Amino acid sequence: MLFWILCLAVPLVVKAEFILTIFIFGFILGVLAISFNVIFGYAGQLSMFNAAAFGISAYATFLSMERLHVSFWGGLVIALVLVAILSVIIGAICFKFQLKAFYFALVTMAFAELARLVIMNWGSLTKGTLGILVLQKPTLGFGDMAIKIDSTLGWYYFSLAALFLSALVCRGIVKSWIGRAFEAIRLNEDLAQTLGIDIFRYKLLAFTIANLLAGVAGALFAFYTGYIEPSYLSTTQSLDVIAMVLIGGAGTVLGPVFGAFILTGLPHVIELSAEIRSIAFGTILILTILLLPRGVGGSLKMLTIPWWKRLRERRAAGRAA
Amino acid sequence: MTQLLVTQILNGIIVGTLYGIIALGVTLTFGITGIVNFALGQFMMVGAYAAWYLTDVVGLPYPVALLPAVGVAALAGLVVDQLLFRFTRDNLVNGLLVSIGLIAVFESTALLIWTSSPKEMNFVMSGSLSFAGISLPKTKIVVFATLSAVIFLTFLALMRTWLGRAAYAYSQNPEAARLMGVRTQLLQSGVVVYSCALAGLGGALYVSLYSLEPFLGGMYILKGVEAAILGGIGSLVGSLVGGILLGVIEAVGSIYLPTAFRDAYGLILVVIVLIFRPSGLFGER
Amino acid sequence: MRFSGFAAFAGAALLVTTAFAQDVVKIGQIEAQTGPNSVNGWMSSQGVPMAVDEINKAGGFQVAGKKYKLELISLDTRGDPKEATVQIKRLIERDKVKFVFGPFLSNVFATILPYAEQFNGKFLLMGGATRAHEYLGKPGYEFVVRTWSWDTGPQGFGELMTDYVKKLGTKKIAMLMQNDQGGQVVASIYEDLFKKAGIETKLEFFEPGTKDFSAALAKLAAWKPDLLFPGYNDSVMYDIMRQSTEGNYFRRFMVARGSMGPCLKNKAEIDDCIVYVPKYFEEAEKTNDKVKKFVAAYKAFYKRDFPYDQAPICSQSCYDHVYMLVAAMQKAGTVDDVTAIRKALLSITYEGLWKISFDEKGEQIFDFDVVHMKRNGEIKVTTIDPPRK
Repeated sequence: MLFWILCLAVPLVVKAEFILTIFIFGFILGVLAISFNVIFGYAGQLSMFNAAAFGISAYATFLSMERLHVSFWGGLVIALVLVAILSVIIGAICFKFQLKAFYFALVTMAFAELARLVIMNWGSLTKGTLGILVLQKPTLGFGDMAIKIDSTLGWYYFSLAALFLSALVCRGIVKSWIGRAFEAIRLNEDLAQTLGIDIFRYKLLAFTIANLLAGVAGALFAFYTGYIEPSYLSTTQSLDVIAMVLIGGAGTVLGPVFGAFILTGLPHVIELSAEIRSIAFGTILILTILLLPRGVGGSLKMLTIPWWKRLRERRAAGRAA
Repeated sequence: MTQLLVTQILNGIIVGTLYGIIALGVTLTFGITGIVNFALGQFMMVGAYAAWYLTDVVGLPYPVALLPAVGVAALAGLVVDQLLFRFTRDNLVNGLLVSIGLIAVFESTALLIWTSSPKEMNFVMSGSLSFAGISLPKTKIVVFATLSAVIFLTFLALMRTWLGRAAYAYSQNPEAARLMGVRTQLLQSGVVVYSCALAGLGGALYVSLYSLEPFLGGMYILKGVEAAILGGIGSLVGSLVGGILLGVIEAVGSIYLPTAFRDAYGLILVVIVLIFRPSGLFGER
Repeated sequence: MRFSGFAAFAGAALLVTTAFAQDVVKIGQIEAQTGPNSVNGWMSSQGVPMAVDEINKAGGFQVAGKKYKLELISLDTRGDPKEATVQIKRLIERDKVKFVFGPFLSNVFATILPYAEQFNGKFLLMGGATRAHEYLGKPGYEFVVRTWSWDTGPQGFGELMTDYVKKLGTKKIAMLMQNDQGGQVVASIYEDLFKKAGIETKLEFFEPGTKDFSAALAKLAAWKPDLLFPGYNDSVMYDIMRQSTEGNYFRRFMVARGSMGPCLKNKAEIDDCIVYVPKYFEEAEKTNDKVKKFVAAYKAFYKRDFPYDQAPICSQSCYDHVYMLVAAMQKAGTVDDVTAIRKALLSITYEGLWKISFDEKGEQIFDFDVVHMKRNGEIKVTTIDPPRK
C-alpha cells in the first residue's frame, strides 16, 4: 500500500537524523500498538499485560545475550519463548475462570505489576532501577557477512521491516478463520460459544500472539535506545499503548500505527509542557471514545466508503442498538 | 514484638478504612451504572486539595472545611457524569477508557495549579493516644471513626430508605425496577455523584494525615479496586471488609517480609481470591 | 506524515535569542522542565535564561578581541528518555550546538550517551546526572562534565556531613529509602560512607508512593539508632518525619537531599534536624550580596516569588555555570575549540552564588551549608568549603 512505499522513500528525502529517529520510534511502537490491537481491537479483551511482555522481552533478550552468549536473534527467540510460556500460564488462569472483561484487565494488570516488582527488586539479575545499558547491536547475516545494525539508516529499515512483518502477521490473522473467531468473541462471547467456538482456546491464542508481538517490539526498543529500565513494564506504558490504538483506530491493521506515530511525533511538533500534553492526551482520548469510536484511522477509512453505503451502515447500526 | 504486631494491625485497619471508602464507591458505581469508575481516585484528590485549600489558604477551621470540600468533589462528579459517564452506561470498556482519560486530565491540571511540591496541611490534632505500650496518633483514630460512621450510614440508608431499596432493586433487575417506576437516570447519576462525594470525603480526611501530591489518586484507586474485588464487587459490607483486610495484610506483611514489596502482598492476595473465588469473599456465587 | 510540520520545530522551540548581526555562541539545554521528575531540571531552566539575558544585556562578552552574544535553546525532555534522544540529535545536528547543559536525570543521560559519545571532542555535556560520575575521566568521554559534587571522596558533601554527625557522637544511623534508582544510589553511597566512619547502619527500603511508614519505622526504631536518614526527597520526608515523631519512633534526623521544609513543619517535635543544603538561601540572602542580588533579579525577571525551596538546586547546570563557561572561553581565547575550553574550565575557580571549581576528572566541587535545626526551630548554619587542590 501507499503507506509502505512512502516510508521506504522517506530517507531519500529527509536527511536529518533526528527526524528519522522519530520515525524509528514510531515504527517500533507501531509494532507494540499492533500487538495490543490483536487482543483488544480484534478479540475485544482489554489486556494490561502488553507493556509487561514488552519489558520482559527486552530484559530477557539482553540477559540471554549477556549470560548465555547467544546472538541477538538467539536472545530474541529465548525471550519470545519465555513470553509465550508466561502468556499461556496467565491466560489460562484468566480464561479458565471465565474472568469477564473488567476482571481480566485487573488480573493482567496485577500480573504486570508483579512482574515489574520482581524485575525491579531482582537487582543481581536486572540491576533493578539502575537499569541496564545495552551496548550490543543486532546483526544480520552469518559469520563474516554479518552486518551490524548500528546506524540510524540501518535501524530505520530494520524497524520498518519489523513493522511490515508484524502488519502482515496481523493482516493474515484477521483475514483467516482465526480472525473471524476473534471477531465473534468480541461481538458476543456467549453467542460465539453456542456457535461452537472454543472461546478459551481462541482467547488464549489472541493473548499469546499479542504478547509475542509486544515482545518483539520490546527487544527492538531496548536495543535501539540502548537502555532498559523497569518502567518499561509500568501501567503508564500500557496506557500509552491503549491511547495509540484508540486514537489510531482499533479495528484496522494500520490504524494503531498511525496512533503510534501521532503519539511519538506530536510532542516534537508542538512543544508543550508535560502537564498540558497530559491534559490534551486525556481529553483527546475521551473525545475519541465518545465521538470517534473507530478512532482516527477507522474514521478515515470510513471516508473512503461512498456516502450512500455509509448511510446504510449507520441506519443498520442504529437499528441494532 | 506483640506490641509491634498489634500496633501494625490497628494501623492496618485504619488505613484499610480509607481503602474501604473508595472500594464502596467502586462497588456502588459498578452495581448501578455498570462501569468501574477508575477515576474515583481523582475525586479523592479533588476533595483533598479542596480541604487543604480551604483550611490552609482560606483559613477555615478544618472541620468546617470538610463539608465544602466534599461538595466540590460531588460537584465535579456531577459535571463529569453529565458530560461523559452518561454516555458509557453499562459499557465497561468505554467507561474504563474514559476514566483513564480523566485521570490524565485531573492529575495534570492539579500539577499545573499546585505543582508537584507536596502540600502539608497544618496539623489538626497532634499527639497520640497511648495504652499498654501501643500508641496511635489521635488524628488517625478520628479519621477511622468518621469513615466507619459514614460507611455504616450508607449501608443503613441503602437498606432502610426508599431510595436505597430502589437502588438495590435496580441492581438486581434493571428492567423490573424501571417498570416499577424507579427513575433510573436519576438513580444512576445520583450514585455516581455519591461515590465521588465518598471519595472526596476520603481525600478531605486523608489530608489531615499525610502530605498531599497530585498523584494521590492513582494509588488509592488501585487499592480501592483491589479491596472491592477482595470483598466482592457486588457487596457493600465486602468493600469495607476488603479494605480492612488489604490494609492489615500490607501492614503485617511489611513487618515480617521486606517493606519494599508492600504493594505486592495485597496484589498476590487479590489474584488468589480472584482465582478461587472470583466473586470475592462476600459476593454472590 | 507531512514534513512541513517539522518546520514548525524552530518556531515552537523555546528560544531566548538576542542575536542579530553579532556573532553568537549557542547553548543548548536539555532538562526535564515539567513532569513528575522535574524538580532539578525546572530550577536549571529558571537560572540559565537569567544569566544569558544578563550577559547579553551587558553587551555580550569578548573572546580574543571579538564580541559575542549567547543564544539559548532550551528543550523540555519531560523526563522521557526517547524524547531526549531526538532532542540531543537535533541540538547537535541541526542547531550545531557546542555546549549542552543537562541532563540531570540518570536514565536520560544513559539513553543519550551512545549518540553523544560519537561527538567527543566536538561538544561539552555539562549535567548533574548521578550516572555521569562513572564516565568522568574515561578516555573517549572527555565531553562529560558533571556539574554537581559527589557525596564521597575528600571533597564530597556526604563525607563532610558524616564527619559533622560523627563529631556529635553518632554511632548508629537508620536509613529509610525509596526503592528506586535515586534511593538505591543514595543508600549504597551512604552505607559505605557510614561504615568507613565507623558508624553502624540499618537500611529499609519502601515502595515509591508509600505514605504510611509505621511498619518500617517500627522495625528500624527497635534497633535504637541515634539518627534516621529519611529518604532523599521532600515528598516522603514530610510524612516520615511526622509519623516518626507521632509514633515516638525518632526525633533526630540527618537529611542529605531535600530541603528544610519537613524539619520546620515538625519543629515542635524534633530534637535535631541536620540538613545538607547546597545553600540555605533564607540565611544567605541576609549575609551575601551576590545572593541578595540574585533573589531580587529572579523576582524581577519572572515576576513571581523566589522559590526558596528549589533554589539550592541552582548549584547544578544553572546560573553560575553560564558565567563560568564564558570565563572559560575567555581564558582559552576561543569559542570553538572545545578541548581548550574544557581545559580552561577545569582550571578556574569561579566565585558566584557558589564558589565552584572542577576536579581533574571534571566533577564539580562547591561550598555548601549544613543547617542544624534544634527543637522549636533554632537554626545554626555552618558553611563548609571543601578542600580543593
